[in-house]
Amino acid sequence: MENAVVKLRGYKDGLHLIIRPKVSLIDIQNAIKELISGMNQPLSGTSVHIDMSTSPLTSDDLRNLETHLSDNYNLVVSGFNVLDENDESPILAAPAAHSIPQGLPADNQQDYGHAQIVRQTIRSGQTTSCLTGSVIIYGDVNPGGEVIASGDVIVLGALRGNAHAGAHGKLTSVIMAMELVPLQLQIGSYVNRPPLGQKPRGYPEIARVGAEDIIIVEEFIKF
Amino acid sequence: MGKVIVITSGKGGVGKTTSTANIGTALALLGKTVVIIDADVGLRNLDVVMGLESRVVFTSMDVIEKKCDLEKALVKDRRVEDLMLLAASQRNRKDDIKPEQMQDICERLKVEYDFVLIDSPAGIEQGFHNAAAGAEEAIIITTPDVSAIRDADRIIGLLQNQDINPISLILNRLSPTLVKKGNMISKNDVLDILNIDLLGIVPEDEGVIASTNRGVPLVHNDGSPGAEAYMRIARRMTGQRVPIPEMREDNFFSNILNWFSRK
Ligand SMILES: Nc1ncnc2c1ncn2[C@@H]1O[C@H](COP(=O)(O)OP(=O)(O)OP(=O)(O)O)[C@@H](O)[C@H]1O
Ligand SMILES: [Mg+2]
Repeated sequence: MENAVVKLRGYKDGLHLIIRPKVSLIDIQNAIKELISGMNQPLSGTSVHIDMSTSPLTSDDLRNLETHLSDNYNLVVSGFNVLDENDESPILAAPAAHSIPQGLPADNQQDYGHAQIVRQTIRSGQTTSCLTGSVIIYGDVNPGGEVIASGDVIVLGALRGNAHAGAHGKLTSVIMAMELVPLQLQIGSYVNRPPLGQKPRGYPEIARVGAEDIIIVEEFIKF
Repeated sequence: MGKVIVITSGKGGVGKTTSTANIGTALALLGKTVVIIDADVGLRNLDVVMGLESRVVFTSMDVIEKKCDLEKALVKDRRVEDLMLLAASQRNRKDDIKPEQMQDICERLKVEYDFVLIDSPAGIEQGFHNAAAGAEEAIIITTPDVSAIRDADRIIGLLQNQDINPISLILNRLSPTLVKKGNMISKNDVLDILNIDLLGIVPEDEGVIASTNRGVPLVHNDGSPGAEAYMRIARRMTGQRVPIPEMREDNFFSNILNWFSRK
């Protein structure tokens, strides 16, 4: 069982589908079929988190896997967690000492894997997400707009909507904006709502999780 | 080849119909050939605002159902040459029309007319999509309040996804006294968020309601601040360089007066 192609585990933050490294998409899909058909509990409608090592799967493969899960089993993929191959299983790697909310698997390099660059303003009703790295916006994020990243969120304009960095629990993630006047900030599962009607301060600011486990906002000087 | 422009907002009641009637009339007064289309199927009122209600015989639905020719369905304005109205059916619902059918009507009209203006229904549902289907450009109407601006932002995102360009903004019902008291969002705040070109600012003007009730668009009423604002907007749309009056929000009207005395 330890060497199964896919494993399903329940953790505090929900179901995780753990995929063995270096397996082809077809083999993964077959293994999922076998796993799910062997279960006596219906899974339909629940959401799963996919944990996998750096694998030969392309982002297209990941998208296919996501549609495969939703089309065939009505499973909603809540996110991908791509771990470094040499790491332990993602769950074992979750640090116990630091009070990581909800026991999320955290801190792997891959969350910073790459950056997705968005060359437009994110307007009300629009969402941009990158669950394999950081997001950089060459524009504003307006009220009602939303940016989600497993790494950092960098807005080279005004952040007036919602931003969620470290969406997989990486608490060292930051949110930065030239004008930081958001409706809501989230890092990991920490939430910060700045006072309403806050005026831009006229300098870039950065939000991070501070020592007291709250999101602090300060002037951005340099990393 | 003319321009097909949808006039839309997201939020209801912010002045789409008023703006369509006044800009259409103003463009025709400037010598352009214009058709205004009521795309608010089921709730038509562009004809009422234009004072043409009693002259509507056919609607866009009759054209689509091939009950009459497009030319025959166009209602001539009572006052201005070269201004036509294509009314909406009141019997039908917004999803009785398909985007391709709207597109077809617009394609045919823009061959003959300089401007085809489409009065969109509020919302982001089928009616809005139909109204925008035949358009190449858009004018967004917003009032200076948070919910109207939020909805305008949403609409701009949707229009950009449909490659509608340019998208410009009319800020309607700006009340200088309220801005001065800090009770209203200022022009710059709105532009900062929406980040599109400003086509014009229309002040709060009591004359609008009176003109709506009489069925005579405000632009016929020379000298009222709203009429002048719509005339300037129409001039800009014909390519004239008409500055937006420099209105420091604290003395909006005196600046408007300054601007008039300069010409
Ligand atoms: N600049 C203005 N000053 C004063 N009143 C105005 C102004 N603009 C619009 N109004 C009034 O606001 C009301 C709504 O205007 P209008 O019907 O043009 O909005 P609309 O966006 O077409 O609404 P709907 O979404 O219902 O189609 C009308 O009563 C109109 O007289
Ligand atoms: Mg209307």
